[in-house]
Amino acid sequence: MIEVLTETGTQEPQRIRGLEMPWNRVMGSNEGAARAAHALGPWHPQEFMAECVETVPEAGGMMTFVFRRCDGAPLAFRAGQYVNVAFPVNGEEPEPVDRSYSLSSSPTEPWTFNITVKCDPTGLVSPWVHANVKPGTVLEMLGPVGAFHLPDADRRARYLLLAAGAGITPIMSMVRTIHSLPGQADVVVLYHGAAAGGFAFHKELAYTASVDSRVKVFYSLGDRSIPDGWEGLSGRLTAAMLEEVAPDANGRQVYACGPEGYLNTATELLKKVGVDDTSIYMEFFSGDRQTLLEYQAEVALAADFAEGIAEEIAESAEDYYESQPTAFGLYEPVYDADGTLEASGLPLEIVAPEAPGSDASAESAGGEPEAASPDASSFDTVGTGSLTMSFMRTGINVRIEPSERILEVAHRAGVRIGANCKEGMCGSCKVVKLSGEIEMNHQGGIRAREISAGKFLPCCSTARTDMVIDA
Amino acid sequence: MTASVNVPLNSRGKLAATLPAEQLAEITALFEFRRTGHSLDAPFYTDSTIFKIDMEAIFGQHWIFAASTAELPEPGDYVTVDYGPYSLIVLRNDDGGVNILHNVCRHRGARVLTDAAGTTGNLVCGYHSWTYSPEGNLIHASAPGETKFDKGCFGLKRAHGREVAGLIFACIADEPPADFDETAKIFEPYLAPHDLSKTKIAYQQNIIEEGNWKLVMENNRECYHCDGHPELACSLFPTWGLTEGLIPAHLQEVWDRNKEAQSTLEDRCRRYGLPYEVVEQLDTRIAGIRISRESLDGDGESFSPDGHRLSKKLLGDLRDFRLGRCSMHLQPNSWFHFLGDHVVTFGVFPINEHQTLVRTTWLVADDAVEGIDYDPEKLTYTWKQTNLQDKAFVELCQQGAGSPAYEPGPYMKSEYQVEAFINWYVQRVQEHLA
Ligand code: FES
Ligand code: FES
Ligand SMILES: [Fe+2]
Repeated sequence: MIEVLTETGTQEPQRIRGLEMPWNRVMGSNEGAARAAHALGPWHPQEFMAECVETVPEAGGMMTFVFRRCDGAPLAFRAGQYVNVAFPVNGEEPEPVDRSYSLSSSPTEPWTFNITVKCDPTGLVSPWVHANVKPGTVLEMLGPVGAFHLPDADRRARYLLLAAGAGITPIMSMVRTIHSLPGQADVVVLYHGAAAGGFAFHKELAYTASVDSRVKVFYSLGDRSIPDGWEGLSGRLTAAMLEEVAPDANGRQVYACGPEGYLNTATELLKKVGVDDTSIYMEFFSGDRQTLLEYQAEVALAADFAEGIAEEIAESAEDYYESQPTAFGLYEPVYDADGTLEASGLPLEIVAPEAPGSDASAESAGGEPEAASPDASSFDTVGTGSLTMSFMRTGINVRIEPSERILEVAHRAGVRIGANCKEGMCGSCKVVKLSGEIEMNHQGGIRAREISAGKFLPCCSTARTDMVIDA
Repeated sequence: MTASVNVPLNSRGKLAATLPAEQLAEITALFEFRRTGHSLDAPFYTDSTIFKIDMEAIFGQHWIFAASTAELPEPGDYVTVDYGPYSLIVLRNDDGGVNILHNVCRHRGARVLTDAAGTTGNLVCGYHSWTYSPEGNLIHASAPGETKFDKGCFGLKRAHGREVAGLIFACIADEPPADFDETAKIFEPYLAPHDLSKTKIAYQQNIIEEGNWKLVMENNRECYHCDGHPELACSLFPTWGLTEGLIPAHLQEVWDRNKEAQSTLEDRCRRYGLPYEVVEQLDTRIAGIRISRESLDGDGESFSPDGHRLSKKLLGDLRDFRLGRCSMHLQPNSWFHFLGDHVVTFGVFPINEHQTLVRTTWLVADDAVEGIDYDPEKLTYTWKQTNLQDKAFVELCQQGAGSPAYEPGPYMKSEYQVEAFINWYVQRVQEHLA
């Protein structure tokens, strides 16, 4: 039975100009109650434990996991950011597997937060997550991180949000955030999916669009065959489709998230319809493209804090690890007097490099433990610079200046180190430092326990002394 | 909007009354026998008496563009505007309105404010410290032993002010022409979407051109000479002022591109509810105006080599950068370009019969960050170059007007706006002398 209600008042709501995130004013204030509310503002990435409190199956093989922090604090973040989660996929293995997942909930509801995970049956982590993370599961997380997010204040607030497949998760956070805030905004969502029934959040998106005149949502079925009754668009992203859903794309800020191929196409097309590349923000879920950074300063600030915290933690590494709950059965590292990190219950693997001045040891980074370190003095030396970096696996010495980023120099010298973001966010370039001192400017791509275990991110590090590197 | 107080300044036709009858007859004849469709006789550009008449009949009677809101955003902010014998203070008052005051101390006539712009509470004359309120009232004058001194009689002289869509106009006549409000109604809807109240000055340039102010205006009112503006020609279609049938072969391709860009622009304007039609009443009303929104070449966004935006922040509530340029010509002393990303205002302030100050001001959104959203060098490049080229053209003409060999030449079809300007000018002066 459908009851038809005649709608009367069709007037537009009256709104304040532009959008402003609720923490914006609080962060600028140091007085009284506002001071206490600082906890609600995104400030710097932290390491914390979070408990799953709900799981919600979504269309398209996705599952939303609702978490709350174990310490009860709200999770402050910006719509579009992600958390890095340590999943103990191998049960008792010493190293959990880290994965980054965009937050799909709105930071205006900070007491719980959601990540939405698409199950990739061939993947290592996502099937495990779907099968094992349940209410009660406690996981170690780091976040929030990422420069792909809405600005804290925007008096224009005209957005074109492009999502393909699982790329909808950070976009969903943005839509939810804008919907929950007062203020003028103009949001067009264009959401590409593979199957008519596979659009996660489509009910909520439809509802939001129906009650919030600021939000318009368009669906397109990509290049799949179109079932009867499909009312959305069809076909892959084209310039004509962009013109159709947002003829004023040219004047909007564009946030796009999805697989690399989709985003590469989007970049081209957006240029074609006249969107300036400084108005395009992208989150690559795969591939090696670099995330566009608009908020360099803000992120750098966050990184400073993160590093400060990491150092603090590293100084009291023993206390830190002892303070971690062991009851969850995730891992039980032991920190011994020599600074060796060991996984309890497993054979101890120690790399004891003979490089002079070395006081740090670390477990092997997944590869074969070095039986005996070769002698770096027999390596070829390339490049110029005041410091020497010895790459033990590659067998080369590279001269470097203290101002140069280690990853670039290493790449030039032919040392193979994987790298994605090149900005200290993704963690893919992580290597073990056998000796020497570096200065690292990371943005959440590495954890304190990893730093204290001698790892670092060469993409965002410079050398302070001669170095010996396990790569 | 400004409340204005009328203080009689001088009686009408004062200058004409003081001129020897013979000289006055000569000058009146010059106006009367002006040859339509031709440039003016030399004395209009060189004669100091005609310059005085211009100051009285045009700059003393009509609404002139003085500044934009961005130049005085806060209460107490002021600019001084000098032209001919006049100096005006344009001051943002505490009520948000604008006061226009003559910058002439009522004690012994010293300039009260000597800076080009600034912020002030009360206005203190530097000579003997007479102190005026922002409204112009004399509030303090140390007067030892004076008994009969009535401060109420010595306020700064006030003139009329109007603020429309972020542009500030001044009129020093006792009774300003009444049709300005109608003109304002024409241009207000074109300008309002650019929201000048939310802009700031990115750059201001003052150049003195060695030429009569009318030559400066004439030069602006045609694009016949636009071949001389290579930088501007990147974005501005050099077919400006031409119509079908007048297009020379070498511009045919440009013309076709122009037409297509124009129709795309008009579609966009209709979508956003922006007016674009040409309104042209340059000499058919007292407050003469031409306004329209026209396409730009390339990306169609701004005055850059490829037509791409020069500031990354959209003005006002505009939704699109590809809005071409809304251009406005006002008689007697201004023209403007309103784009999606910035605004350029041009004010012409005569100094004497052979020198003119041209003030060009580039405005961007007030939240645009220099070095991030815009680069002042790039923002100003095209019009700085164009201004220099125009200055040279004007100066060549001024030199010509000084030669005994000079005689008025015919305006071409594409120079119809020059004719309209001159026709407007001649009519206004004749009305004044009558
Ligand atoms: S490449 Fe991403 S952290 Fe180094
Ligand atoms: S002239 Fe101004 S106070 Fe004397
Ligand atoms: Fe010119």
